[in-house]
Amino acid sequence: MIDLANLTISKARQGFKNKEFTSVELTKAYLDLIEKKDPKIKAYITITKDLALKQAAAADERINKGTDSILTGIPCAIKDNIMVKGEKCTAASKILEKYIAPYDATVIEKLKEQGAVILGKVNMDEFAMGSSCENSAFFSTKNPHDLTRVPGGSSGGSAAAVAADMCVFALGSDTGGSIRQPASFCGIFGIKPTYGTVSRYGIIAFASSLDQVGPLAKTSEDCRLVFEAIRGKDKYDSTSSDFPIEENDINIKNLKIGIPKEYFGEGLDSIIKEKVNKALDFYKKNGAQIIDISLPNTQYALACYYIIAPSEASANLARFDGIRYNELVGSEKADNIIDFYLQNRSLGFGKEVKKRIMLGTYTLSAGYYDAYYKKALKARTLIKKDFEDAFQKVDIIMGPTSPILPFKINEKTDDPLSMYLADIYTVSTPLAGLPGMSIPCGKSGDLPIGIQLIGPAFSENKIFSIADFFQKNYDIN
Amino acid sequence: MISEEEVKKIAKLSYLTINDEELKKFQNDFSAILDYVNKLKELNVENIEETANLSHSKNIFREDKEILFNSEELIKLMPHSKNNYLEVKKILNND
Repeated sequence: MIDLANLTISKARQGFKNKEFTSVELTKAYLDLIEKKDPKIKAYITITKDLALKQAAAADERINKGTDSILTGIPCAIKDNIMVKGEKCTAASKILEKYIAPYDATVIEKLKEQGAVILGKVNMDEFAMGSSCENSAFFSTKNPHDLTRVPGGSSGGSAAAVAADMCVFALGSDTGGSIRQPASFCGIFGIKPTYGTVSRYGIIAFASSLDQVGPLAKTSEDCRLVFEAIRGKDKYDSTSSDFPIEENDINIKNLKIGIPKEYFGEGLDSIIKEKVNKALDFYKKNGAQIIDISLPNTQYALACYYIIAPSEASANLARFDGIRYNELVGSEKADNIIDFYLQNRSLGFGKEVKKRIMLGTYTLSAGYYDAYYKKALKARTLIKKDFEDAFQKVDIIMGPTSPILPFKINEKTDDPLSMYLADIYTVSTPLAGLPGMSIPCGKSGDLPIGIQLIGPAFSENKIFSIADFFQKNYDIN
Repeated sequence: MISEEEVKKIAKLSYLTINDEELKKFQNDFSAILDYVNKLKELNVENIEETANLSHSKNIFREDKEILFNSEELIKLMPHSKNNYLEVKKILNND
């Protein structure tokens, strides 16, 4: 029996090297566990068994020849808005239910070059719009720590698959918190990297100025290894670049940690507050300086985000017309081409997606463009500047990832604003293009709590080592 | 409160049809969301530049030549095709 519950990339590599198990054996162990466990959790939309076994066999060959890389033979799960050639890629939407990816996303090409094993495609909120995985057109994913609760979202399938030991690591995407909030809800590590460090080519776009792909895993070290593997300039994404990522020479003793007062205000669950403060005390005891700071425009971040993201989405989702992708209503049932678009789009998109397309159409329409969209772009400048000012004084910013604990399935589906408010601490980071990571820092009963680390652009290595120090030295129980 | 007429107009601009039940729900949701985002009105943004893109990249040049894609793969995905072309409903009508 392979101990999947405690498996990390380095432990799996050790296992391969010591001939304790092969990648094929490890892959089969994961596929067996998925078959047994996933009917309850429902993280996977598609299990890519044939692909996984083929990749695992090829990985074993590389390992035997000694031509392996860091991720060779390591089984992973991929969010279903990231294209894997020849496999279904649905973005958890009916309009893409039958879509087979005709090429690999650049991040997948990079994983394949390293010899990683793809176990399957995992659930999400439709087109990554949501914070609970309940907006998937197919089914809701359950939180492995409490099956009556949501795993968070939109990368809820990625987080649940990692937390339930159904992969070593997963890829997710983050637009307003979609990696960090589910990582927090499922008690694992997840990072949204600096905008432009990871290619978006082959990712089904939601809001292009915010979207960024990143890893979810059981350790900070695994997140670092996967980030290293997927990052870099891509000729197919002009916003990507080979930015130098700062070396990490972090000494906790000299570390200046900024605590934004806006992240500890009204609406924060008292147990989350207590656990986050306890984690901060730990850094303090180890010599870090805790410095009170202010990010004064935080109060406008959510409003700014809910104008910019839907605006971009309304343009990005215009391509789904029923002609080039899935057709839900045959053209013989439509009077004319416009009617055909209308019928297919109306049946193909779920409620939340429709709502955001319409919201974005409204904020971009004549008469409202200046009042909403332009204003939001200016607010975004102020939010970005808040962080620039703060990073003059501190090395890193810490606070809770989510103001609330994982909530019950269906608890927040009726009230449009209460779900959006769950993103209140995570939306600022992508607006400013900065890296943010959620790491587990305690529990309330069975329910995990995450602390968020936000760094300056390209400070991923610093974040990883600050997180790693915490994981190795802090008892979260 | 945003009017039913306005919601219908936005739906039309978005190429979406909505039924009466959805209409009510969207009307309520939009009003709540717009009330919330109207918070931005109190923010003074005089002389503030817009941030539309966070790309750190400078000009990127490439050779001016086409990149060929395997079109068969794409055509296979289309619900209707004919002689390697995408088949669509008639666009121009007589009326």
